[in-house]
Amino acid sequence: MSYKFEIENLNAWFGSKHVLKNISMKIREKAVTAIIGPSGCGKTTLIRCINRMHEIVPGARVSGKVLFNGIDIYAEDVDPVQIRRKMGMVFQKPNPFPMMSIYDNVAAGLKLNGVRDRKRLSEVVERSLEMAILWDEVKDDLNKSGVSLSGGQQQRLCIARALAVEPEVMLMDEPASALDPIATAKLEVLIRMLAKDYTVVIVTHNMQQAARVADFTAFLYLGELIEYGPTKALFENPENELTEKYITGQFG
Amino acid sequence: MDNYSVRKVIDRSMRIFAYLALIVALIPLFSIIGEVLLKGASSVNINFLTQPSPTVGEAGGGVANAIQGTLITVGLASLIGVPLGIISGIFLSEYSEAKISSPIRFFNDVLSGFPSIVVGIFGYALIVRAVGFSVTAAAFALAILMLPIVTRTTEEAMKLVPATVREAAIALGVPRWKTIVTVVLSGAKKGISTGILLAVARIAGESAPILVTMGYWRWWFAGLNQPVASLTLNIYIFAISPFENWQALAWGSALVLVMLILGINIIVRVATREKYK
Amino acid sequence: MSRLIDIGLEQLASVVFRMGEMAYKTVSLSLDSYIEGTNALPQIQEMSETLIVMADEAEDKAFELIARFQPVASDLRILKSYMKITYDFERYGRYAFDVSQVQRASGGLEQCESWISESIREMSEKVLSMVHTSIASLKSHDVELARTLSETENQVDGMYFRYLDRLVEKAPATNKCTISSVLVARYLERIADHATYVGESIIYLATGEKVTLR
Repeated sequence: MSYKFEIENLNAWFGSKHVLKNISMKIREKAVTAIIGPSGCGKTTLIRCINRMHEIVPGARVSGKVLFNGIDIYAEDVDPVQIRRKMGMVFQKPNPFPMMSIYDNVAAGLKLNGVRDRKRLSEVVERSLEMAILWDEVKDDLNKSGVSLSGGQQQRLCIARALAVEPEVMLMDEPASALDPIATAKLEVLIRMLAKDYTVVIVTHNMQQAARVADFTAFLYLGELIEYGPTKALFENPENELTEKYITGQFG
Repeated sequence: MDNYSVRKVIDRSMRIFAYLALIVALIPLFSIIGEVLLKGASSVNINFLTQPSPTVGEAGGGVANAIQGTLITVGLASLIGVPLGIISGIFLSEYSEAKISSPIRFFNDVLSGFPSIVVGIFGYALIVRAVGFSVTAAAFALAILMLPIVTRTTEEAMKLVPATVREAAIALGVPRWKTIVTVVLSGAKKGISTGILLAVARIAGESAPILVTMGYWRWWFAGLNQPVASLTLNIYIFAISPFENWQALAWGSALVLVMLILGINIIVRVATREKYK
Repeated sequence: MSRLIDIGLEQLASVVFRMGEMAYKTVSLSLDSYIEGTNALPQIQEMSETLIVMADEAEDKAFELIARFQPVASDLRILKSYMKITYDFERYGRYAFDVSQVQRASGGLEQCESWISESIREMSEKVLSMVHTSIASLKSHDVELARTLSETENQVDGMYFRYLDRLVEKAPATNKCTISSVLVARYLERIADHATYVGESIIYLATGEKVTLR
């Protein structure tokens, strides 16, 4: 078991608002790590610092180190675009490209990076849709518009799109928030399957989801990392009283 | 009467009133089109469309050169105004946090309200004094007139593309400029083309700037440093003339102009329709 | 802040506490009946059966809470502990029943030699106090009190084995007294064991630590 990420003293700001305070944690590879905490605790900011999406917002600032495969992604000479190619991201609300077909959506990442070979694109599209457990449902009409699918299907389409560029990591920001319970259940099964080959980091406000899906869970509160450890231990016998209060629903 | 019946009556009468208002609002449009069709249809024949303007006393004649001239003028103006407008619109939308954006937006809005004759005179001062009355000068003035429209509608269309689309592309590792030029732009296609359309329609119907930068021209296209004929000026010149055949030409020109604008409309709508269900 | 699950937890707790009180009464009554030689079997039987019903009720309630509320952390530990504790309380009742069966079959201590009576009385008092302690520490989730059960269990064990040694040493005639006292001593020792299990569950519930008090 090795660490895909080593986060050291990560701090993040939105203007003068100090959103993440001295976060240090190591994220295991090929496992699911969940980040939980009440609204506004900084969990989305944390995940966006991992693929350098936080800094594109005007006024956003980051300090500290994030070692990815041993290399600090915030070092001077590192190209954020290259970093983002290695990490797939899935958002709270499914966001397939609206004017593109299913095929074009999945192929978008590759096409935009210059891949033209039709054969290769088709192979990648099929493989990605299969990994995202969507192939069987859409294989008959890949030219349908991406936004004509149901919410759960759209989210899996976004996952396929992210997988198509062959990332090493999948970052998911509350991926099931906008989905109904059945779609959520399917998504959770998919997440467990993805963990066999990818490092998955998932932000969720649903503690039960973290309990079901994650190998490791981190609890954030007001920008600080309160507790971080194997899910079983954290949910059965948390070390920190604040964690205990949060997961038993005693926060007012 | 109880409350419910009263409400039903009010509802029905408001609805009737709304329909009537709609009809009244559409009357000018349809009556203009109707009048133009009526008066102009008789003039439009193959001769009309293929022969240049007649001289004084000459019978027959057509507006072929005016059609050519209008197309060239509008085309040239678009060549200048559209790319400039789109780029400005993209900048204002995607980099709106830059300090220079607010002033640019403000001046753009001011420009869109400028009287067209003033822009014409500006074109006169700049181009005509250097090159002479010419289609270049006219195109220049028209480009300035179309610029604010294209800029503003491009900016609005780009802004309408949801931020989530940009985020998705950036998360895929697509550089920002590429995201804007591929994903966001194609999402704004429809809005931008509508904007271009509006702008083209506006300048195709301008007459004042053309008057001070080109003037009336009776012949075919004769070079960029020369004027060309124009449908709008034709309407003006021919309509106030004492010759009957010229007046008929005026109506015919009006009809052709209206058809031209309608044609552009249809082409753009068809080209930007949703390709997927 | 009160939560939905709190209502259920309170209901469950009240069943468990009532079970504890009932179990104490049952044990106390049956030990008295043996020591004094009075027949309390029908009563004890009824009480024991009530305890079984209450244990079922508690178990159902706990499962309902798990299904509906997906409890975690301290809530989950409470449920796990309560379920174990209700089993231990049911066992108290069961052994009490066994003691009064022995009494009914072989008579009580009133006909026995004094050294036998003394030993059993001593053990009974100790064990009854352990039962009391187990219930008291449950009510207040008192970890320190629960830990004391370790010491008393040791003492009870000591008394038990010493009694057995004395029996071997003195080798009295094998009569009702000998047999019944050995059986009752055995039951007392088992009750003591279950009291320590209750203590262990209380410590787990409060601290998450899994300990052995024996």
